[in-house]
Amino acid sequence: MLGFMETPIAPNAAHILVVDDDREIRDLLARFLERHGLRVTAVRDARDARRALLNGHFQMIVLDLMLPGETGLDFARWLRTEASGHRQMGLVMLTAMGEETDRIIGLELGADDYVPKPFNPRELLARMRAVLRRVGDGQQPRHAQIAQLWRFGGWTLDPSRRRLLSPDQVEVPVTGGEYDLLVALVERANRVLTRDMLLDLLRGRQAGPFDRAIDVAISRLRRKLEDNGRHAQLIKTVRGGGYVLAAEVERL
Amino acid sequence: MRLWPRSLAARTALVLVMSLTLVQVAGLTIHAFDRVGLQRLAQTRDVGVRLMGLYRLVALTPAEQRESVVHELDLRDGLTARLETAPPADDLMPTPQEIRRPIVVSMQLVPVPQPQRQREVVMLGMPGDGRLVVGLRMADNRWLNMSIPMTPPRLWHSQAFLLAFVLMTVAACLLTLWAVRRLTAPVRTLARAAEALGRDVNAPPLPEDGPTEVAVAAAAFNLMAARIRRFVQDRTFMLTAIGHDLRTPITRLKLRAEFMEDDEMRRKMLADLDELEAMVAATLAFGRDITTDEPVTTVDLAELARTVLDEAADAHAELADSILYAGLYHLPIRCRPVALKRALTNLVMNALNYGASAQVTLLPPVAGLLTLLVEDNGPGIPLSELDRVFQPFHRVEPSRNNETGGMGLGLPITRNILRAHGGDVVLSNRPAGGARATVTLPV
Repeated sequence: MLGFMETPIAPNAAHILVVDDDREIRDLLARFLERHGLRVTAVRDARDARRALLNGHFQMIVLDLMLPGETGLDFARWLRTEASGHRQMGLVMLTAMGEETDRIIGLELGADDYVPKPFNPRELLARMRAVLRRVGDGQQPRHAQIAQLWRFGGWTLDPSRRRLLSPDQVEVPVTGGEYDLLVALVERANRVLTRDMLLDLLRGRQAGPFDRAIDVAISRLRRKLEDNGRHAQLIKTVRGGGYVLAAEVERL
Repeated sequence: MRLWPRSLAARTALVLVMSLTLVQVAGLTIHAFDRVGLQRLAQTRDVGVRLMGLYRLVALTPAEQRESVVHELDLRDGLTARLETAPPADDLMPTPQEIRRPIVVSMQLVPVPQPQRQREVVMLGMPGDGRLVVGLRMADNRWLNMSIPMTPPRLWHSQAFLLAFVLMTVAACLLTLWAVRRLTAPVRTLARAAEALGRDVNAPPLPEDGPTEVAVAAAAFNLMAARIRRFVQDRTFMLTAIGHDLRTPITRLKLRAEFMEDDEMRRKMLADLDELEAMVAATLAFGRDITTDEPVTTVDLAELARTVLDEAADAHAELADSILYAGLYHLPIRCRPVALKRALTNLVMNALNYGASAQVTLLPPVAGLLTLLVEDNGPGIPLSELDRVFQPFHRVEPSRNNETGGMGLGLPITRNILRAHGGDVVLSNRPAGGARATVTLPV
């Protein structure tokens, strides 16, 4: 018996549905998440997941793509297109390591995030919390943005493939953290975001001192957006520690 | 001596053209000799008959009128005649027998009554002199001395013939070259196919048509390609299966580690698991066909390289000052960005791990090929290792932890990726010390 202190689960804790065909992973993940204050229901395949969805109210589903019977991708598609009651639910996919196609299809289907297996439990938790915050904020869930693009100042942000395109349609590589940061800024264009708010969004992505990480990431983004640091026009520095994306954002 | 060409087409063409020339020369010689004989026959007959015709005319004329007849004769084509009392006096040599005889024989073709027949024949000169001088002693002992032009027989009789011959020869040579190129084309096709197979196992098969030998060779080649493909697929399936099967236990272990009480122990265990995962990832990356599952897009290579350096600087904060970028600020190229980023990351991580520094320089493209240098200030690479480091699972030294888990797969993966992009990577040592990886890619 492991002797750690169980964090009491608050009655209003987010309810998570974990779908994974490996019993050990299912149970361990459930215990791990419960220990961090989440309510968890764990099922083994898409059929059981549907049954669970009928009986419970979930804020998020953690879905393994490799499932027996109906695949995770098919289930995700059903979830986002037909299951009308569950569209507001967050969706984090567990993908096979390095399966680029799975990742792209998953994001196109409206997954809020993906974590390659074998995952680091703490990173998974951080990503889940970020998605929960977004869902809890009552923001547009990811599926509403399927096949949509953001355009600002000539630049294009393509959420389905998580990439940034320059005004002449050349892909400009960005890291995962930079992408998330840019999305945060674009989603709240012309609103000042404090460092703390941005830190929240980047948590789990970056190692090291977070304060510096934000400034470094911002300066790298400015370089990539060809936004001169001194006279930045796109990402402006706000006195007192914050940043704002000063541009009209167009949804395409 | 470079007279013997290297290519099969050139060799075949050379042999064919040479034999053609030989046959032409032989045929032409036979033709020329034949023609000379014929010309001589016609010439001697013509000369004999004309001379004898003139003689007959003079001989049948009454003696007292002969002088005036000879004088008034309207002779053509350079023929001259004189009635004299002595045989022709000229500084020409007597005509050689082989020319004299056929002329004398031809002279007998002209009938002259016996009393008027010539009593003696003096013949001087030969074709080489341009004229023939013939003196015939008549019955009254006077001499009818005649001179007739005679030119040596020509090997060909018109300029057009020479021109036609040259044209014919040139045309034959061109046809030979064309035919040889056509015939050796399958060899080039085969070479290209073999080269394409080296780059991409899934290259399209050769068409199995054309001449029998070519079709058989193409079929054999396709069979070989199919076997190689199956072998590669089997290997990929095996590695992918192993990778997938390992994911589950590694995931379980990572979750279990979270329940360990001893923080230090948990940290170490997670580090071990990360290393294990990196090894599996490297094996998978090496095993799978990197090129197939990622679409090609236009990407700014300069920014890609700087992103790789940014991430390297994040991972090795203590070396951040030794991580530098130089060269072009933008260079859009068509590539598979995730694969290419992995290739560059491997090179940069090698530079950091073995040289404790990394400088990336992107040079402007020359002739459609760009060059990117990844350099470090470390000890460099022993000469004997420069090529071996590209062998899978080969390690220069027992390695530290790095991106690929130190399995000796980083460089082979990098090279596979770059070659799949139509480029390459070579390692060398810088004159100033340190290693240099030179990446080339088509723009």
